[in-house]
Amino acid sequence: MLTEIEKRVIASIQGDMPIVEQPYREIAHAIGIREEELLAVLQSLVDRGIMRRFGATLRHQRSGFDANAMTAWQVDEARIEEVGALMAAFPQVSHCYRRDPKPTWPYNLYTMIHGTSEADCIATAREMAAKAGVSTYELLFSKEELKKTSMTYFPTD
Amino acid sequence: MPELEAVDRAILNRIQSNFPIAARPYAVIAAELNLSEKEILERVRALKSAGIIRRIGGNFVPHKVGHVSTLCAAKVPEEKLALFAETVNRYPGVTHNYRRENAYNVWFTFISPSRADIAANLEEIAAATGVTDILNLPATHVFKIKAQFEL
Repeated sequence: MLTEIEKRVIASIQGDMPIVEQPYREIAHAIGIREEELLAVLQSLVDRGIMRRFGATLRHQRSGFDANAMTAWQVDEARIEEVGALMAAFPQVSHCYRRDPKPTWPYNLYTMIHGTSEADCIATAREMAAKAGVSTYELLFSKEELKKTSMTYFPTD
Repeated sequence: MPELEAVDRAILNRIQSNFPIAARPYAVIAAELNLSEKEILERVRALKSAGIIRRIGGNFVPHKVGHVSTLCAAKVPEEKLALFAETVNRYPGVTHNYRRENAYNVWFTFISPSRADIAANLEEIAAATGVTDILNLPATHVFKIKAQFEL
């Protein structure tokens, strides 16, 4: 369970921090707590694994990763743990999840593959397929970003 | 795009995760990278202005803050794309939404306080847009969420 103060801290740090010498002083002031208390709560959220990553989110297209392909794989359930771990180990893969298949969509393992170009992503997928011994998969290249934001937990208004 | 300078790459590699939790975080980074706090601040501001940094802040694990998340995929006819995107994007829990090259051509993530709430919202979206083929694909196992892109 989260305390009211923790919820306030989460709400205050989930957006975009000011790029100034003492950002925490400004944030603490804005939510009516002391800077030391804010620092302690943030450290606790990290230590408890509630905040999974704290830092800058980049626009990949502007930092050299020009293409990404969500790749959906049809994997024998008996091998899902092995194949999931193997695919997660590729440095080009940022996300790897198992999801239940559906009648119109038979895939059960998903990887997000990043590369310098679509061809680069395709080559990585081929390498992954060969290494994992999985032959049925689809690459879904993103054609347009319709929305990208971060979640707003515990909105105040 | 122009190549990033080595110093900017080093800064970006340092600040994507484990951002210092200290009164003067940029002074901590400066000491690690042998630069001045002023130079780090100037370069981070420039990277933000150039749009390379989207934001600096915290990223939370939905289920540890009382939420659930899912991935949804919809089969949307070309003429309904704009309406569908607008309808879906109105939900604050929809954080990522992409048009992708597939029969399921719109893929979005949905974070919400409960599975029931997500199901109800998807029904609402179907009713409002006439797009009824929407897959709800919550993760059952996470093998990897990467924190960092080495530049």
